[in-house]
Amino acid sequence: MIPTEVPVAQSKDQALTSAASPTVELTKIRKCYGEFVAVNDLSLRVRPGGIYGLLGPNGAGKTSTIRMIMGIIVPDAGQISVFGEPLSRAHMDQFGYLPEERGLYKKMKVMEHLVFLAQLKGLSSGDATARARKWCERFELSAWTDKKVEELSKGMQQKVQFIGAILHDPNLIIMDEPFSGLDPANAVGLKDAVLELAKNGKTILLSTHRMDQAERLCQSICLINHGRAVLEGELTQIKAKYGRISVQIKYDGDARFLQDPKLVQSYNDYGNYVEVRLAAGGDAQELLRAASSCAKLSKFEIMEPSLEEIFIEAVGKSNA
Amino acid sequence: MRNTWLIIKREYLQRVRTRSFLVLTLLLPAIMTVLMALPAKLATMGDKPQHIVIVSSNAQLGESVRQQLLSTPVTEDDEEPGAEQAKARPQNQYTIDVDANATDAERTALREKVSSRTIDGFLWVPDDFLTTHRVDWNSRDIIGSQERSWVITAINHIALQQQLSKAGLPSSQSDPMLTPIKVERIRIEGGKEAKGSGTAKFLEIVVMVMLLYMAVLFYGISVMRSVIEEKNSRIMEVLLSSATSTELMTGKLLGVGAVGLTQILVWTVMAGVIALPSMAMQPNLSDLQISPVVMIAFAAFFLLGYLLYSTMYAAIGAITTTEQEGQQIQFLIIIPLVLSVFMLTPAIRTPDSAAVMWMSLVPFFAPIVMFARIVVQTPPIWQIALSLLLLIATVAGLTVLCARIYRIGVLIYGKRATLPEIMKWLKYAKT
Repeated sequence: MIPTEVPVAQSKDQALTSAASPTVELTKIRKCYGEFVAVNDLSLRVRPGGIYGLLGPNGAGKTSTIRMIMGIIVPDAGQISVFGEPLSRAHMDQFGYLPEERGLYKKMKVMEHLVFLAQLKGLSSGDATARARKWCERFELSAWTDKKVEELSKGMQQKVQFIGAILHDPNLIIMDEPFSGLDPANAVGLKDAVLELAKNGKTILLSTHRMDQAERLCQSICLINHGRAVLEGELTQIKAKYGRISVQIKYDGDARFLQDPKLVQSYNDYGNYVEVRLAAGGDAQELLRAASSCAKLSKFEIMEPSLEEIFIEAVGKSNA
Repeated sequence: MRNTWLIIKREYLQRVRTRSFLVLTLLLPAIMTVLMALPAKLATMGDKPQHIVIVSSNAQLGESVRQQLLSTPVTEDDEEPGAEQAKARPQNQYTIDVDANATDAERTALREKVSSRTIDGFLWVPDDFLTTHRVDWNSRDIIGSQERSWVITAINHIALQQQLSKAGLPSSQSDPMLTPIKVERIRIEGGKEAKGSGTAKFLEIVVMVMLLYMAVLFYGISVMRSVIEEKNSRIMEVLLSSATSTELMTGKLLGVGAVGLTQILVWTVMAGVIALPSMAMQPNLSDLQISPVVMIAFAAFFLLGYLLYSTMYAAIGAITTTEQEGQQIQFLIIIPLVLSVFMLTPAIRTPDSAAVMWMSLVPFFAPIVMFARIVVQTPPIWQIALSLLLLIATVAGLTVLCARIYRIGVLIYGKRATLPEIMKWLKYAKT
């Protein structure tokens, strides 16, 4: 990136945000429903800006965690702080919330409904109307603003719900499984909107049970299983730290380098290429030197482990 | 505060704008009018001339009884003056025959005729009725009070006339003496003669109490239904991220309550415009005047009664997941309402009795019983104040309790909450 293209203000912002307190910080929160422990001493930090993914299989405790951040349910133990302060109702107007179970008043007209939701968040009716119009245009809902919600298709209702969650320009947007139930075209539209919000400095906390989605969107994640955080932090760091790195090599000639136990733990020959699992402490660069010294390489690619693999491994460890 | 106001506004506008609101508001008074007018109309419609036979071996006596009956207006036993035109049949609708054949066989034959509806009744006047002081009135009627009191008046008149003429007083002289004396009723209210007649007052109480009862029930159920709907559509979660459960609940209650007030206001205006001319035609209702005190009392007891019951309805909506479940539990709420309607009669008859007084202080009965007492005769001011105070305190207490149930209940999906669970919520919920 050319330095002059970076606005000064933004770099200042970044300097500020890296020092600023986390947007959301959970410290050992716990929630039980009777005997069942839904969230078990969960801690996580969501830094300002970017997209944070709350991952885990169904029933891992994602929705309970989100509801606690939203103040809808109260944790049995632990602390929740947002923007560096203990969570209170005063923060609610800075939150945008898209719950897992979508809900709208079926008999209300789309525009009325959006204005009502935004007014509850403190917007004037004029502001709310203007913003709602803009967003409806973007999501191709302009022709439907005077229709009742029940007349809309499910996908359209979801888009209305999303607009309702962000109309008041919240600093923190919390979305529970935002892409579930959307057709591909609408999912792309929503993803673009989410990315744009993140780019504009909003913090987005989304939950999903789809690892591939999180891998593509999120900068940081928290992997939850049985109410516990299995992994938490920046995605790149988690991958570097956690995943064992494998290398795909396409070569011609001497395959002696595959036999070095200091570098290679195991390998799998697929015919067109071999996939090499590096030994613990093995360095990919060293392997590259060793390989190139004895064979002609047409491909040498360091494969990052997928989040799914990491998750399965991490869960396997935590269960053991 | 702003949130509550927004929720009130939404609830109000969404309801008032529906077609069903319009239909109900316009149609209910029409239905009520028909329902109220129908019995009276039916009674007159069913009127066919009645056939009565007077049996006496003395045909002359029979004829004078006949004449007397034809000149005596038919009134009910306990009817007040002025009402007879509206209800009783004019005496010229009766065909009265005199039968001089006073034998047992004729009596059997007449009984047969009454059963076969050839005649509607017969008056058996024995020869010695002046000494036995007894005649028999035979008819199919179960109550038969209309004709009976008519016959009593006539036959007594004849008996006195006969005895007086035996004593030497001609009927021309005795007749004026025998004219019955009318006893006019005058109701005292607050040291003055009250304008409204007892009938009008009674009607006023019944109409207003029914309105109160129905409105409380109707809007209470409406609150319950909309809570269940919000739960099932999951909008509740979105709302809870913007407003507190207390704001949501009070906003809903006040919004729906405002709809109720609007409806009642519309009805009052309609009643004023449409019903006044027709009331003017019915003399016994023309003096139906609702005093400002009663109006204020109605508004206060309607609002408080509505709040009292609809908070409970909101809580029921929160602990149930379907309307059917809600309907099953709501009898708990309806019982005190129905009980207070049962207490209406004692409250009207003996508004000052100890039992009625205590009942009217109990918050769950106060909206109906205390209101009825105020309409009948204004009770001591301290009783009204105490009743209102207790009612307000109960409403406040229930709001806090029900808001707690509401707060947790609205997020429980899938199954109805059990009593132990609710007790736990009450203990732990803080907001």
